[in-house]
Amino acid sequence: MSRGGSGSLPRYIVQRILLVIPMIWIILTLVFFILRVAPGDPVSAALGGKLDQQALDQRREALGLNRPLIVQYWDYLSSVMHLDFGTTFSDNQPVLHVIRDNGGATLTLTMAAFVFALVVGIPLGLLAGRYRDSLPDVGIRLFGILTYAAPVFFLGFLFQYYLAQPLGLPTGGNANPITVFEVPTKTHILLVDAFLSGNGEAIQDVLKHLILPALTLGLLICGVFIRLVRVNMLQTMQADYVEAAEARGLKKRHVTWRHAFRNALVPVITVIGLQFALLLGGAVLTEETFNWPGLGQKLVFYINSRDYGAVQGIVTFFAIAVVLISLLVDIVNALIDPRVRY
Amino acid sequence: MIRHKLVAVAGAGTLALALAACGGSSDSSGEANANAGTGSPWILGTTDTVTATDPAGSYDLGSSTLEYNLYQTLVTVPPNSTEIEGDAAKSCTYDDPKTLTCTLNPGAKFSNGDALTSSDVKYSFERSIKIQDANGAAIYLLGSITDTAKDGTVTLNKGAIETPDDQTVVFHLDHPDTTFQYVLTYPGAAAIVDEDVFPADKELADDKVIGSGPYALSQYKAGDQAVFELNPNYTGPNPGKAPQVYVKYYTEPSALKLAVQNKEVDVAWRSLAPTDIKNLKGDSNVTVATGKGSEIRYWVWNLNNGIGKQAAVRQAAAQVIDREAIAKDAYDNTVDPLYSIVPPGYGGANQAFKTQYGAPNTAKAKQILQNAGISTPVDITVGWTPTHYGPSTEDDANEFQRQLESSGLFNVTLKSTEWEQYQTIYKQGAYDLWILGWFPDYPDGDDYLSPFMVDGGFFANGYKNAQVNKLVAQEQGTDDQAKREKIFGQLQDIAAKDVPFIPSWVGQNTAVYGAGMSGVEDTLDPSFIFRFWLVTKNG
Repeated sequence: MSRGGSGSLPRYIVQRILLVIPMIWIILTLVFFILRVAPGDPVSAALGGKLDQQALDQRREALGLNRPLIVQYWDYLSSVMHLDFGTTFSDNQPVLHVIRDNGGATLTLTMAAFVFALVVGIPLGLLAGRYRDSLPDVGIRLFGILTYAAPVFFLGFLFQYYLAQPLGLPTGGNANPITVFEVPTKTHILLVDAFLSGNGEAIQDVLKHLILPALTLGLLICGVFIRLVRVNMLQTMQADYVEAAEARGLKKRHVTWRHAFRNALVPVITVIGLQFALLLGGAVLTEETFNWPGLGQKLVFYINSRDYGAVQGIVTFFAIAVVLISLLVDIVNALIDPRVRY
Repeated sequence: MIRHKLVAVAGAGTLALALAACGGSSDSSGEANANAGTGSPWILGTTDTVTATDPAGSYDLGSSTLEYNLYQTLVTVPPNSTEIEGDAAKSCTYDDPKTLTCTLNPGAKFSNGDALTSSDVKYSFERSIKIQDANGAAIYLLGSITDTAKDGTVTLNKGAIETPDDQTVVFHLDHPDTTFQYVLTYPGAAAIVDEDVFPADKELADDKVIGSGPYALSQYKAGDQAVFELNPNYTGPNPGKAPQVYVKYYTEPSALKLAVQNKEVDVAWRSLAPTDIKNLKGDSNVTVATGKGSEIRYWVWNLNNGIGKQAAVRQAAAQVIDREAIAKDAYDNTVDPLYSIVPPGYGGANQAFKTQYGAPNTAKAKQILQNAGISTPVDITVGWTPTHYGPSTEDDANEFQRQLESSGLFNVTLKSTEWEQYQTIYKQGAYDLWILGWFPDYPDGDDYLSPFMVDGGFFANGYKNAQVNKLVAQEQGTDDQAKREKIFGQLQDIAAKDVPFIPSWVGQNTAVYGAGMSGVEDTLDPSFIFRFWLVTKNG
């Protein structure tokens, strides 16, 4: 990684952080130009069915959409450098407020899904690896493939239709509107705010709303974890040190649970970072399906509205989130395995 | 401006009158006030989106739904009527076709306790025009009191609004325009805001707005929900029954359907898919209520070039189209056949296409083409757009194609393009015929005629008819409603004869509600105003 580098951890971290800057710039630039190459603009999306061509052109002129692209690009970059992402055209919100107000819902959903995936996926993967080619292994593998292959929106619809009513669970939203109204906003994360309010009914309501979306999204990456952990478990069980431990008379059970399982989990840390991007992608579909008021749902809305500023802001936020998680994973990896730093 | 000035006016001298556009406040307001806040809170679910809660920044139904309940306008539209009546104003009267005088109700207040005066009214118009948000309606609908420069800057005409005293507002129009009184019913153009709260040169944050309507906004989370509570200072004729109304926003009709079935919302209004409505009609736990609608679909002919330049081709197509089959097969009868561009329920609406062409008849269509010496089958390219008007548009287009081709007179090529490109290329002549939708700005037949028939319409299809322009100028310049409606009839007859477009269907105003709700049916009318104050929940 670092030619002639010393291999020190601080140096490695600084290098990784510096790399974030060009990555963000590339993403900003790509999003900026891709949006403008696509047909349409905010004016035509909002008013194209109402106004004649002259009126539409006048509105574009007034908004500066007719200026040369390079001028718009420079203005945009200058604003972003001052952390000014502008105001959305389609619903008149400061883009940073959109990220603040909806980011909490996306964070809640992705974290809950992630926890679900870890809690379900890792034990099942370990179990499948330990009992290779047994009936449970076949069943777990099949489950893993199905959950990974099934489209998120399809799973979501199935849950909404067949689980929600029998289990008394809501089909959409992150809480009853009355809960949202009554819980004071402090952190912009409704679940946290509900806990801070100490309102038991509100906490219960928010958690009930979280179950089906988190289950749907969690299943998506659960399959990845199952397959990954299973393969690692199989490889670890065949490692020399496992064989040596058994030769020294340690009980098979002890070797499996105390040594093999732990080592099988190390590669999962790397994959967690990669899965975060998948999780955000899945969150867009899950939020749409469950009417979850997160950034993914907002992103779809703004794309349909050709709302340049909003899309740029949200995509940049997503990109930064993925980059930071990757950075964190790299650092953890470097801490665990010094070879990574060289 | 854009539209109204196109037709600005001849024959102003013939117009003299004093139109009582609106009556006084309701006699039953005292009784209604006694019922204020007696019901239970209820939740409305909708897929409409909100551009802004500040009227200076909105020109869309999602925003208007909130604004109708939050603000007052000078005049308003009572349920199931197109005759406007007073809201903040006791009366609005045309002194002459260019002068409208409104007298405010005494004692009106905003929800913060500030008095509502003529100064607030003037300020509301001035700021909307000054801000000139591209998403706002003021710069598009207030053409009679504004001027538009070449660079698109809109300015209020000097002396256009006078306030001789606290209770009186006088509008001086730059041309005779009796549609102006209807524009005053639309909050996006004419909601009254508090001059001490709303900035003069920018919009107020969505969660900070206040008005003088029956309800006050207590919480607004963009794209998620809005919460309304009774306005404690409301003195008008429409006090709300429910103490709180929650509006929950959905992105997908399927999610909204599930929500009303699962009792997560009490009322689902706009927009459920036709198949969902059909399905919900069979659900005993909910009630499907339907009122007259005003949203229309129509097919526009390209008269600039191609086969659409030949009137006989346009007429022959109009002769074979079976609107009932479209309504049934593409929309499960959740829409009604439309036989004129002005939908039923509007003053002066007729069934000109039915009168002109009768039932679908292939033989007659063939005769029309033969008489014009046009050989068959006629090749036509038909454009449609797959998402902007909903998924049923594909069925609509396919049924339209099937009908034309089954006559043996047409050979149809369907072309689908996403909205963003569609709205550009149809003006460039990509299609001979293309589908469009329309939703009215104000409750008057003019809003279905002048935008469509004057100088090629807003869709620039190349149709020009001097008689049409003259008739539109006449109806906009007179306050004689009978005369206006007669002109509306003439314009519709001309449209049926010339066929610059083919009206297809008019949507219904449909809501689905659960147990304990009452008053929903009362607000389902062509104006598409969802009047929270009429709806309540028992228990």
